[in-house]
Amino acid sequence: MPEVYNDYFGQFGGRYVAEVLRTPLDELQAAFVEAMDDSRFSAEFDEMSATFTGRPTPMVHAANSSRELGGAEVFIKLEGLANTGAHKINNAVGQILLAGRMGKTRIIAETGAGQHGVATAAVCAKLGFECTVYMGEVDIARQKPNVFWMELFGAEVRPVASGSRTLKDAVNEALRDWAASYGDTHYLLGSALGPSPYPDMVREFQSVVGRESESQIDRMIIKAGLDLAALVACVGGGSNAIGFFSPFLDRETPRLIGVEAGGTGTGPGQHAARMGGLGRAGIVHGYKSLFLLDADGQVQDTHSVSAGLDYPGIGPQLAALGLSGRVEFNRATDREALQALQFFARNEGLIFALESAHAGAEAIKLAPQLPKTGAIVVNMSGRGDKDLFITAKELDPERWKAFLLAEAGQIPQDRGDGGSRKSRGRRMM
Amino acid sequence: MSKIMAHMVSFFPDRDRSMAVAEGLVTGGASYLEIQFPFSDPSADGPAIQTACRSALEAGFTVDKGFRFVAEVKRRFDVPIFIMTYAGLIYARGVREFISAGCDAGALGFILPDLTFGYDEGVCEVAEDLRTNVMPVIVTSMSKNRLKLLEERHPGYVYVALRHGITGNPTELGAENLGFLDRLEPLGARVMAGFGISERAQVETLDPHVHAAIVGSALVRTVAEAADRTSDRSIRQSADEIRSLLTEQMTGLVGGS
Repeated sequence: MPEVYNDYFGQFGGRYVAEVLRTPLDELQAAFVEAMDDSRFSAEFDEMSATFTGRPTPMVHAANSSRELGGAEVFIKLEGLANTGAHKINNAVGQILLAGRMGKTRIIAETGAGQHGVATAAVCAKLGFECTVYMGEVDIARQKPNVFWMELFGAEVRPVASGSRTLKDAVNEALRDWAASYGDTHYLLGSALGPSPYPDMVREFQSVVGRESESQIDRMIIKAGLDLAALVACVGGGSNAIGFFSPFLDRETPRLIGVEAGGTGTGPGQHAARMGGLGRAGIVHGYKSLFLLDADGQVQDTHSVSAGLDYPGIGPQLAALGLSGRVEFNRATDREALQALQFFARNEGLIFALESAHAGAEAIKLAPQLPKTGAIVVNMSGRGDKDLFITAKELDPERWKAFLLAEAGQIPQDRGDGGSRKSRGRRMM
Repeated sequence: MSKIMAHMVSFFPDRDRSMAVAEGLVTGGASYLEIQFPFSDPSADGPAIQTACRSALEAGFTVDKGFRFVAEVKRRFDVPIFIMTYAGLIYARGVREFISAGCDAGALGFILPDLTFGYDEGVCEVAEDLRTNVMPVIVTSMSKNRLKLLEERHPGYVYVALRHGITGNPTELGAENLGFLDRLEPLGARVMAGFGISERAQVETLDPHVHAAIVGSALVRTVAEAADRTSDRSIRQSADEIRSLLTEQMTGLVGGS
């Protein structure tokens, strides 16, 4: 049995934080290890998963796509059908239940695209926790719909104006809050990274995706006489990938393929791909891993069409698995991700989140290279409804602009400012 | 007069004016300088120092230039210097290489808040080997076990953060944090304390309990405001303004005339 708490994964991982955060992280580690050994905790998690998250999420045979690609059969794990639209809610449920056990009453979180923030705010609404979400000003401007949902759930969204005003700065700001507030506050980190025990904890809470997939694979692939060739997942920080891969990490097969954001090129600031030689070993945000850094160790800017992959570091366990060769890493460009989005929408009636569409793009490349007796499973970690304002602008700019202008024209002047940020959500409840 | 370790960010607002900052602080009576090497993601710092770090990076700071800056400050003002930075910069350079370059530049020691006991990347061993100081940053909420680890290190200097949270917010001095300082006496270390110290009255209160008080964000804010105010003047005029303001502020803080 693999350990639930590892701290380090090869040379990566660790807990590089100021002394003030050692106490809350030591306590969190103890509470996590104890909860994972308590059947009442797993029963609570399973109950929330079944009645609130919407588990199990389906796996679908992408028959039309497989036929068109002409190689291995493609299957898609529809994790994006989970409540709030992505795998992020698994970790939010797990950590908020844990925070409750620890007697905390307030949750703070960082968010980039907003999916982790929305999941966190939803679970806080459901379980009665006060919720503050840190979000970079740049992300707030480009992900307005998710800000709206978080506030509707009663969360306070605090704009972050420091640094590049994106996800990495939201992490810094959440750490700053926590250094002063940990007495009553839990910091709900959204990906399998950060200081230990977060990488271990997030993997454990996301491993529900892998366990469920394993039994679906058995039923739909193995029993049908197909050979499971590969699992494919997109990798930003890597929480959906590590959860999806987790039951298979100690085996030699199938191939496990992580897909990073290739953005628009391989120069600094054009992509967010840390593996394959572009990242350097470094320490940022409390953990050691591969990051996009300059020679001094300063964090470089990143780019991806998908905000959820637009982050300079990769989770330490995935970085170690990449170096050991157990997980292969490839890239998909912005363009390839958008093409994959269109391909699976047309063929399968599915809208991939732009993040997950990077994994879809890899499947499109890989399937034709494999025999017809093979099967690959893509994790659609999120659904793409949230990306409407990005994809419509990219794929159908003229008509979309006309629509937005017409919509804006229909908002009466005197209702233009819906009151203060915080009161809006509260008033509606 | 009270002893103070004055904090500054190298290359903020730019290299030349940060030399004027160092001069102003030393002239005003700083006993030590804490020179921060800016990192892109300073997660333990409040807004004043974060903003300064970002400006310093935009002004062309590199680690090599940082060491040359420290060497020049040491040569010109002959003040004991601690280099403060984050794990990211040390790890990228290599622990031994970084510490050794800092020693060559004339630093008395290093302040590395996110390399704590148990996760220090061997920095304490290297420092011992090179006969220099790593000044642990500790907090009043530290567990007994962690305090024991501290004792076993026999540090020459200790940095106490007087409250939880980040740099720059106000701090209340009372029985809890002052009592903690007194309990450190058996360590035999030179105890310095900071976080939220901005006024002479606070320095006076701390004085009997510490070797030196640490002032950071309050000074960085002075630099930022002066740089803003003099943005339409020449660098030299701006540097003069910054230097004299800091001399005045430091003189007030140490209780000089």
